[in-house]
Amino acid sequence: MPMTYRDFFSGIAFLIIGATTAWMGKDFFADAAYIPIGAGILMGVFSLPLIWRSSRSLLARHPSSQPVMALVDHPGRFLATLGCCLVYYTALPSVGFYTTSALFIIVLAPVLGERRPVVVLGITLVFITLLYGLFAMVLRRPLPVEFFLAS
Amino acid sequence: MFESLLNALPVALQLGSLISLVVGTLIGIMIGALPGLNPVMAIALMLPLTYGFDPVIALGLVAGIYNGSMYGGSIPAILLNIPGTPAAIATTFDGYPMTRKGQGGLALKTACWSSAIGGIVSALALMTLAPMLAKVTLAFGPSEYFWVAIFGLVSIAVLVGKDISKGMLSALLGVIIGLVGVDAISGAERYTFGTLYLVGGFDLLIVLIGLYAVPPVLEMAEKRNASYFNADSFRVTAGDGSLGLVRRYWRTWTRSSVIGVCVGILPGAGGNLAALLSYNEAKRRAPDPETFGTGNPIGVAAAESGNSADNASAMIPSLTLGIPGNLIAALVLGALMIHGLQPGPQLFTRSPDVVFGFMWQLLLTAMLLLLLGGMVATRLFAQILRMPTALLVPTTLVLMAIGIYTVNGNVTDLYVMLSFGLIGYLLNRLAFPLAPVVLGVLLGPMAEQNLRLTMLISQNDWTVLFTRPISLGIIILLATILLSQLWKALRLRGHSSKRAS
Repeated sequence: MPMTYRDFFSGIAFLIIGATTAWMGKDFFADAAYIPIGAGILMGVFSLPLIWRSSRSLLARHPSSQPVMALVDHPGRFLATLGCCLVYYTALPSVGFYTTSALFIIVLAPVLGERRPVVVLGITLVFITLLYGLFAMVLRRPLPVEFFLAS
Repeated sequence: MFESLLNALPVALQLGSLISLVVGTLIGIMIGALPGLNPVMAIALMLPLTYGFDPVIALGLVAGIYNGSMYGGSIPAILLNIPGTPAAIATTFDGYPMTRKGQGGLALKTACWSSAIGGIVSALALMTLAPMLAKVTLAFGPSEYFWVAIFGLVSIAVLVGKDISKGMLSALLGVIIGLVGVDAISGAERYTFGTLYLVGGFDLLIVLIGLYAVPPVLEMAEKRNASYFNADSFRVTAGDGSLGLVRRYWRTWTRSSVIGVCVGILPGAGGNLAALLSYNEAKRRAPDPETFGTGNPIGVAAAESGNSADNASAMIPSLTLGIPGNLIAALVLGALMIHGLQPGPQLFTRSPDVVFGFMWQLLLTAMLLLLLGGMVATRLFAQILRMPTALLVPTTLVLMAIGIYTVNGNVTDLYVMLSFGLIGYLLNRLAFPLAPVVLGVLLGPMAEQNLRLTMLISQNDWTVLFTRPISLGIIILLATILLSQLWKALRLRGHSSKRAS
């Protein structure tokens, strides 16, 4: 999608966010409403030049000269990383921090193209051991308990 | 006073004190380099352990952790775009692009030298100007703080990025994110949508790591078999020697250190504001401002010397007036009280060795940064970039997860971080600058609280905001920046229309 379309739609999105913020802000108690209303109105005001500029070049059929990046370079790897993160965060409280983290690295690294199992396992082991030493033994920070240690 | 200062030097140079300085600096660098861990937490954990020690040793540890963490925060900011501490936000602007360009070694070296210089200037200011600067603190009221926050917010929104309206929209988005939660003055809930999680608002660190650290990790994940970092990143060229750095950056260091010291003495202002204002000023004065944000080492030098110059000067109001300006200053006061010393003006006459010794320790740890930061920590941490990208992505994500989880011990924070990461990724692709969003979250609440306090004190008289001399000075400075940017934009438009015709 060319940059002008992106600017147009992001301008509209910011206008909606600004209007909603100001509209909700009017119900806040007395001076608690100053900044919400002000910020909302200002957001609406600053989104107008963006909408104006982009719609003008769209109507004039002038494509933007700005270099355009794809919204997502590689959807497959992008979604795989996000999916692994969601599974990791969901499993964390019940499986335990160190086990889940180790499994996360072992699964995601090959998905992203690392094909040397010894390297993956070696780095995972060293990294998790370092984390355990620092967070569990030195700093004693409470982290989700491992499933095999939970009573 | 100078006699007491000289008498305290041998106290700071005792073996026990020197060991505590080295240990404290190393711990500080490590704590700063790990996102989620902060110097406040480290000092709070260390203080009870030092109960049986001499106060000089306890304060030596505090000084080391404090200065070390400020530099430590720049390491992941430069290498991974993850600010280790909130004060390292401005370091990411040019530090990370430098790493991507193959100048990671130079960026780390610049950060190390800049932190050390900032720390040294700040410690010297504490030693020589403390009583005089303490009076400046008292001249700042809510109206001045409001304008300081607006200045930081507007100037960065205008100066970062190419499009002023996009910068302002980013900043306002940050302000709105900062509004979520219970209002500190009236106690009313705002934009919580009846959700318990949102009552407490968004934690700055979660927003920060989400917006800054997640998007580059997702980009890294997308580039299979492609080298994300330049292999020559840590090769330092002949012109990058220490003397070369001093010759090139002394003006930036001087300017940023002065800004850092001035911001440091204001209670609650913090190293992040010092770094951002220093960065702004460096960009404004540079002959090539368009290179800022694309890997200009002056940006790193300004940000790092600015945030480190805030350190010792933040102790000025606490040591001279007994008013802690930030959490670390409050902990230092706590440490003094644990050891039976009463903070305040009498401290200088009753225990000169301890208080002046602490000032020397702050100076010595700033110098130690050059040795420990440059020779040990930088080389150690730089090794992580030699890891294959496919392994760097999951290990960085685990590091972020542990950093975020340890803030509140809540898994929901991880989902929130990921959501902010996706917002940051999208904003990046839509060419909206991210720095103003973070600044909005940080400075929005500061501006709001001080505006409302001003209104309460003045009984809703708006003119107070424009009539106090310091406020007026800040407004003039802000107007100058806005007008100069407007002038530049008009000139640029004139040039391009001429070229087109």
